[in-house]
Amino acid sequence: MPCADSMRVQAYFDGEVDALSAADIERHMERCVECQALFEDLQRLRVALREELPAVHTPPTLRAQILRDLAAEPSPPRPRTGVRRIGQFWVGAVSGLGAAALAATLAFVLLAPLRPAPVVDELVVAHVNSLLSTHLTDVVSTDRHTVKPWFAGQTDVSPVVADFEPQGYKLIGGRVDYLEHQRAAVVVYRHGAHVINVFSWAATRRSLSERVTRDGYHLLFWRAGDLQYCAVSDTGWDELAALTQLLQGLQ
Amino acid sequence: MDDRRRRFEALVLPHLDASYRFARWLARSPDDAQDLVQEAMLRAYRGFDALRGSDVKAWLLTIVRNCHATALTQQRRRAHVPLPEEHDALDGQALVSSELGPQEESIRHDQTLTLERLIECLPEDYREVLILREIEDMDYRAIAEITQVPLGTVMSRLARARQALRKQWFTQVEAEPSAVR
Repeated sequence: MPCADSMRVQAYFDGEVDALSAADIERHMERCVECQALFEDLQRLRVALREELPAVHTPPTLRAQILRDLAAEPSPPRPRTGVRRIGQFWVGAVSGLGAAALAATLAFVLLAPLRPAPVVDELVVAHVNSLLSTHLTDVVSTDRHTVKPWFAGQTDVSPVVADFEPQGYKLIGGRVDYLEHQRAAVVVYRHGAHVINVFSWAATRRSLSERVTRDGYHLLFWRAGDLQYCAVSDTGWDELAALTQLLQGLQ
Repeated sequence: MDDRRRRFEALVLPHLDASYRFARWLARSPDDAQDLVQEAMLRAYRGFDALRGSDVKAWLLTIVRNCHATALTQQRRRAHVPLPEEHDALDGQALVSSELGPQEESIRHDQTLTLERLIECLPEDYREVLILREIEDMDYRAIAEITQVPLGTVMSRLARARQALRKQWFTQVEAEPSAVR
């Protein structure tokens, strides 16, 4: 049975944790022989993979062929507007190129042009970090009378806090994260095996779409007065919506 | 040369080696890998205008992987499915540096083949995540984008791939102490 912290050691090894968690994992490794051995093995394996595998370079003939392909490719007329550019891109990509072009097109669409609000990225990163690190909660309490006043001293907002354990959403604590250049309040719930982070911060004028899925996590946004809320989790939409309804019922 | 092509060659071509390396782990043979990369670069060039300031290497590797998936689907659709070609690890690439003595060279060579074989034996889902992390030095987020799975899945696949190699490769290397440097 591997140590429960082995995933965190791996994340630390891959440079995927913040400084605070890194220090915590280092302390853990001083005590845990198993994680020490894991860390050393990960290092040995990386050295072996990077040094022992044969270096692979593009064959010169392939590189030359690709350069010829590029030169033979007609250059598209320079578009005047972004809309037209995307339109032409779709026509060009889909006509006569079949499934591969469609797959590649999807990749472009997913990766490049339709970037939603940056706050979505911030929220997913904050959620994942909270799961990776020990920084899930700053104040651990199942009592809303402890969590709510605690926020008053730490953040600029005062979100609704309640425990819904009978309904399956157990309040486990609160945390402060930095979001959209503000100190956002995060109320943390546990639902079965899942953690749900409910972020809240002073709403900006920009409107956000209600439901977003990113990297497999669901983000449900709503607004109450001048507060912007977002619940983030890897639970299903229904479970997430049920909690937001409970919260909205209190407002 | 027009401006578009110049920008493509400056931004995208530096990742050609990475694409070819990745393709070599995805495709069944060096020939297939070459076809795959040739196709992917052309697709990338045609869609280049849609690329906006995101990670170019991740974008390109996503295209390579998508082209590979398409090629696989097409192969499976054909009635005749060819058997995987016997992998020839010596296909024209020098494996060892010339400074090594013959004995060291053969040991190093054996070790290399073993590690390579072990990676080939990993399930594809695990192998690609391992290669992207360890060889291409991509972070979890980029790997999640390229392989289109959640971050948590990237982490668990990576842990399993590493666990399999730790077990098998270290056991083999330790059984031949002379091979440990």
